[in-house]
Amino acid sequence: MSVPHERKMGLRLRYDSHMHRLILSVHLSVALLGGVFILLLGLTGSVLVFEPELDRLFHPHLSYVKPRGNVLTLAEIGEGVSKQFSGEPIVAYLPSETADLSSQVILPRGIVCVNQYTGEILGMRTRGQSIFGWARDFHVRLASGDVGRIVMRWSGVAMLVSLASGLYLWWPGRRLGIGGGWRSVRFWFDVHNSVGILSLAPLLILAVTGTVIGFEDQASSFLGKLTGAGEASARQSVARRQTVPAAPATTSELISPQVITPDRAVAIARAQMPGAIPYRVQMPRYGGAYRVNLDLPGDRVAGGRNLIAIDQSSGTVIFSTRSSDLSSSERILATNEAIHTGEVFGMASRILAWLTCVIVPVQMMSGLVLWLRRKRHARS
Amino acid sequence: MNKLKRTLVIIVLFAAAMASEVSGTWSGTFKVRGGDHSTPQIIILKQDGKKLTGSAGPELGEQYPVENGQIDGDRVRFEVTSGEWRFSYDLKRLGPDEMKGNLELKSVDDKRTAVVSLSRTK
Repeated sequence: MSVPHERKMGLRLRYDSHMHRLILSVHLSVALLGGVFILLLGLTGSVLVFEPELDRLFHPHLSYVKPRGNVLTLAEIGEGVSKQFSGEPIVAYLPSETADLSSQVILPRGIVCVNQYTGEILGMRTRGQSIFGWARDFHVRLASGDVGRIVMRWSGVAMLVSLASGLYLWWPGRRLGIGGGWRSVRFWFDVHNSVGILSLAPLLILAVTGTVIGFEDQASSFLGKLTGAGEASARQSVARRQTVPAAPATTSELISPQVITPDRAVAIARAQMPGAIPYRVQMPRYGGAYRVNLDLPGDRVAGGRNLIAIDQSSGTVIFSTRSSDLSSSERILATNEAIHTGEVFGMASRILAWLTCVIVPVQMMSGLVLWLRRKRHARS
Repeated sequence: MNKLKRTLVIIVLFAAAMASEVSGTWSGTFKVRGGDHSTPQIIILKQDGKKLTGSAGPELGEQYPVENGQIDGDRVRFEVTSGEWRFSYDLKRLGPDEMKGNLELKSVDDKRTAVVSLSRTK
């Protein structure tokens, strides 16, 4: 980098101190060494933020239904699926959470999408890697196992260093605004500075929360120690066992008292958690009991972490785990994850998370242009 | 001569170990490549010739049926569906009470691989 060149460009920055030079070297080195991985984090993150919506966009015929009349029971839906797929056992039901989205039935070979109003089989999604699986694999572990995971978790740290050093370098001039033509150094310098400082807070939040996820084992152990020994008993209570008598059985269950229907299991689970929406019902053949997962709509942080297991014969609740039972450290980690994914405040925070992800390539590009220009100038 | 006898004994013992049934309860863990922790496994296997049935899961209270189980020499292969994930085990017997191998996990949008290590408990 050439100091006189910067002065000639009228940028009047103070690069004279040793500290400034050192921090600039750190900023450049981190960007050059970790830039590609930070870029990957941003690009894949921007895909993952809207994964459910994009997935539905790619599979509209499997995802959407026209609401009409009554919704079929899970048993009726299951019967239709079993007929269509030659009696293949049903692993679980994923009831639709909104009126215009299809219900799904999990079979060993894949997931069948069903119109819950007509029973029409919309199609099957077979198991295997999709573009979203790849994006997740790259985001978390660079699609290359243990080494990739180490690289990506340290890329989060690199991003933190880059942001902190960027702030230090920006501070003396505190430039905000863009000047010069797009081919000038000044333009790219201003873009890098202005976009960087305006997006600093959300980028910092994504980098911190991402780094915590990358080092979750260590963070969990640290938080466990911080929140005290009392947490251990709280964690144990997550899987507290209880016996709750079921409400009287319906006529159809009296005919076949050995096994209650999945719909009955859902009714029992809903009675346990009023207001919660069941989003998954696992059959007793798979796991030994009906396992009903419920979502608490008001709780975006841990609302989906409710599970009620129901005995298939007696209808008694054999155990339950509830989001309210989470220990402080588990709740902190769940909140951290909800912030990182943008789920914490719903659509508004998801859009912000997406915009922040998209800014990463902009910063990488403007930084690269600056570095190349300076390198060329230094050579000449 | 002694050396020959010892070698024969080792071969016979190894063959006997390999020929012994895998029926029984196995416990251990699997770790997804690129994952940050090991997941416990308890697998109850029932061998009938070259066919394998039973159940597998993270604990005795949560077991899933073994599907498409088969034994071919020292290779043990079977599948388990736990819901969104289908687990395909491809294990090698290292002794009468030890198995190691690979596991492929498949959901409708994701595929991962893991390493499995099991030892017989009963």
